[in-house]
Amino acid sequence: MEESLLRIKEVAKHFGGLWAVNRISLDVARGSITALVGPNGSGKTTLFNIVCGLHKPDEGCVYFNGERIDHLSPHRVYAKGIVHAFQIPRLFSRLTVLDNMLVAARGHKGDSLLNSLVFKQGWQEQEWKLATKALELLNLLELDHLGLSPAGELSGGQRKLLEIGRALMAAPVLLLLDEPAAGVNPNLGRKIFEKIELFRRSGLSFFVIEHRLELLFDFADRVYVMDKGKIVVQGKPEEVAKDSTFYKVYLGD
Amino acid sequence: MGLLINFLDIIVFIGIFAIVALSLNLEYGFTGLGNFGKVAFFLVGAYTYAVLMERTEIPFYVALVMAMLTSAGIGLLVSLPALRLREDYLAIVTLAIGEILRLIVKTEDWLAHGVWGITVPSAIHWSGISVLETRLVNVGLVYFCLIVCFTFMELLTKSPYGRILRAIREDEVAAEALGKDRVKYKAQVLMLGSALAGLGGGLYAQYMRFIEPYMFMPMVTFTVWIIVIVGGSANNWGMLLGATLVKLFERGALVIKDYFHLPIDPINLQYILFGVFVIFLLAYRPQGLLKERQIKTKAVEVVQRWRNRCSE
Amino acid sequence: MEGNWAQVLFNSAVTSSLYLIAAIGLTLTYGLSGFPNFAYAEFMTFGAYIGYFVSRQLGLDIIFAFIGAFLASGALGALTYQGVFRFLANRGATKIHLMVASIGLGFAIRHIIGDRWGWPPFTFGISWSAFDIGAIRVTDLWLGLIFTALATAAIMHLVLTRTKTGKAIRGISTNPELALASGINIERVNLVTWGFGAGLAGIAGLFWGAMAALSPLLGWTTILPVFAVTILGGIGSFYGILAAAFILGLAENLGTVALTQFGFSTEYRMAIAFIILIATLVARPQGLARAFRRL
Repeated sequence: MEESLLRIKEVAKHFGGLWAVNRISLDVARGSITALVGPNGSGKTTLFNIVCGLHKPDEGCVYFNGERIDHLSPHRVYAKGIVHAFQIPRLFSRLTVLDNMLVAARGHKGDSLLNSLVFKQGWQEQEWKLATKALELLNLLELDHLGLSPAGELSGGQRKLLEIGRALMAAPVLLLLDEPAAGVNPNLGRKIFEKIELFRRSGLSFFVIEHRLELLFDFADRVYVMDKGKIVVQGKPEEVAKDSTFYKVYLGD
Repeated sequence: MGLLINFLDIIVFIGIFAIVALSLNLEYGFTGLGNFGKVAFFLVGAYTYAVLMERTEIPFYVALVMAMLTSAGIGLLVSLPALRLREDYLAIVTLAIGEILRLIVKTEDWLAHGVWGITVPSAIHWSGISVLETRLVNVGLVYFCLIVCFTFMELLTKSPYGRILRAIREDEVAAEALGKDRVKYKAQVLMLGSALAGLGGGLYAQYMRFIEPYMFMPMVTFTVWIIVIVGGSANNWGMLLGATLVKLFERGALVIKDYFHLPIDPINLQYILFGVFVIFLLAYRPQGLLKERQIKTKAVEVVQRWRNRCSE
Repeated sequence: MEGNWAQVLFNSAVTSSLYLIAAIGLTLTYGLSGFPNFAYAEFMTFGAYIGYFVSRQLGLDIIFAFIGAFLASGALGALTYQGVFRFLANRGATKIHLMVASIGLGFAIRHIIGDRWGWPPFTFGISWSAFDIGAIRVTDLWLGLIFTALATAAIMHLVLTRTKTGKAIRGISTNPELALASGINIERVNLVTWGFGAGLAGIAGLFWGAMAALSPLLGWTTILPVFAVTILGGIGSFYGILAAAFILGLAENLGTVALTQFGFSTEYRMAIAFIILIATLVARPQGLARAFRRL
C-alpha cells in the first residue's frame, strides 16, 4: 500500500469561537485526483489555507511526503512542492499574463538580488525557456493570444484559467485547486478536468474542491464530503453517491 | 553670472532629490511599501557623512559609502518590526522614526552639536577654486552618483527580481503562495532604498556645507512623495522628471519672493499649493506623468515569435 | 528617590486628559474610514488658533473660545471629509493615497495658519490662577482639562450606548456589511463622526496651546502620542482609549521622572510614546480593544 502524499491528521482551526475546521483527518494518495466537497461555509477553503501555510492549525498536523509542514510559511510549503490555486483568482493585475506565469516559476536564477544584477546572461537564458513553457501552458488553456495583455483586463473565466495556469507553471508535486470549474462555462469546465487528468498521468497529484458533482464522479478517485468543519462521508465517488448522508448535507434535512 | 550659479544650485538639488525619489520609487512604486519616514534615512546619511568628515581624515567618497551603509543598517533595523505590519501601521511607524531620529540629533549635542548644527568640510580642496567651479564639481559629483543609481535601479526593476517586487506590490499573499518570501524581498528593498536615501543625504551635507536638525523636517518626506507621484510611480525616468518639476516650482517661489510683493508669503503659498496640488493629482492622475513600463526580457521575444508562428 | 509623587500622579491625570480628548476623535474616524488621517494634527492646531482668536483677539470669555474651537475645527473636519477624503475615495484612491493626501492637507492648513498668525511660537497670554491642594500645584486650566475629559468620556459613553448615531458607529465599526444592509446611512454617520471628532481635536488643541504655546506646529508636536494612544487602545475602540490614555499619561510622567533620574534630557518625552507605539504594534497590533468586549 502506497504511503499517502498528503496526510492531514486531526487538524482543527477556530476563528473567534467558531470551529471552521473541526478535527479533520484525510489522505491524498500519490498520483490521485482527490476531491473535497461540501456546502458553502463547511470549511473547505480554510482547510486548503491550512495546508498551504496561510493559516496555522490550532490542533493537529499536516504531513507531506512524510514530513511535517503545518508550521511552515506559504513560500516554504511551495518549496516542498505544494501549490495552491485560489478560488477567487489572485492575479497580479498590472503585470502581463506572461509575467504572472513567470512569477510562478520555480528556481529562477533572476530571483535573487545579486544574480539579477550580475548574471544577466544566465537568467535571460532561463527567461527564454520559461517563457516557452509558459506559452505552451497558456496554449493549453487557450490564453496564449493574451500573453502580453495586463492580467487585470481578463474576463472572469480567463482569470480563473490563468490562476490554474500559474499553479501549473509552478511545477508542483501536489496541486490544490479551489473550484477550478467555477465561473467558466460547462464545456470549458469539463475540458479543464480533462487537462487535469492529462497532468495526473504525467505524475502530478491533485486535491480539488469542486461543486460540480458530475465532473467529480467522472474524474475523481476519492471523495471527501465536509459539513460544518467535519468529514461526514468519504470513499470512491460511486460509494459516496449511494450514501444518504451525502444528499442530506447538500439538500438539508 | 549669479544667474548661472543659481541655475546650477537648482540642478544640484534636482539631482539629489532624484536620487532620494528613486529610493522611494523602489520601495513604494515597485514594491508597494508606504515609507513615510524617508527623511529619517536622508538624515542618517547626511549626519553620518558630516560627522565623519568633521572628525576624521577619511576621503569623502569613503564617507559617502559609510553614509550609505549606516542608512542601510537603520533600514534593516526598521524592517525587523515594521515589515510585517499592514500599510497604515507601516506608515505611522516610519513617520514616527523620522521624528525620533530628528529628536535624537537635536538633543544629543555630543553627536553633531545638536541645534547648533555641524559644519561639513568640503570634499573639494583645490586652492584658488571659484564658487562657480565648486558648484560645477558638485554638479558633476551628484550627477555621477545619480547616473550610477539610475542604472542600478533600471537593471534591478527590469529583471525577474523586479518582476517579483511588482508581484508583491499587486498581491503579496499570492506572491508568497507562489514561493516568494515577501519578508526577505521587502527587507532587501528597504535596505537598498535606505542606502540610496543615505547617499542623497551625504551628498546634501557635502553640498550644503552645514546641516542642522531643522533641515530634516517631514516636509522632506512629503516633497519626495510628491516627486514620486507626479513623475510617475514605478517609472525611474519619472523620478527625474518629478524632481525637476518640483524643485523648479520650489525655487520659483523663492525667486518670486525677491521680485514680487504678494499678500501672502510665497513660501507659505508654495506649501499650500503643494498640499492642494497633491490632492488633485491623486484624484485625477494618481499614476503620475510617466507610466509604468512592462518588463522586457527575452521572454517577451518568445511571445512575439510565437504570435508570428501562429499567424502563419 | 525624592519626589512629589502626588504631583506626578496629578500631572499624569492632566496628560491623560489631554490625550483622551484628542484621541477619541482620531480613533473613531480612523476606525470608520480605515486610514490614519495625518491632518488630524491640524484639526488640533486650528482649534487652538480659533480659540486664541475668540479669546484674545475678540476679547470674549474663555468658554466661548472653547465653543469656537469645537465648532471651527468640527466644521473643518466635516468639510475636509466631504471635500477631500470622500472625494478621493470615490475616485478610487488607495489607503496610501489617502494618507499622502492627508499629509498634503495638513501642510496646506498648517501654512495657512502660519501665514495668518505667523510662525514664531507665542504664549496664549492668559495667566491661569495657580494654587496648591496639599502638596500638589494645580492651575484652573488643568482642572478644567480634567473635568472636560471626564465630561467628554461620559458623554461619549452615553452617545455610543443610547443614541441611534452612536449605535450606528458601533455597528459600522464591527460589521460594515451588516450595517449597510440594515439601512444605516454610513456616509452621514461618517460625516457626523468626522465633524464631532475634529471638534474634540480642536478643544484638545486649545488646551494644549493654552498650556504650552501656540505655533503652527502645535498639532504636530503632539500627534505621535495621540497616535500611540489610538493604537494602544485599539483603533475604533472608545473604551480602549480610556485605558490607553491613562496608561500613556502615567508612562510619560513617570518616564520623565526616570529620564531626569538617569541624566537624559526631558526632550525624550516623545520617545516614550514612540516606544509604546512600537511595542504595541509588534506585540499586540489590535491594541487593548478585545480586552473589552464592547466597542
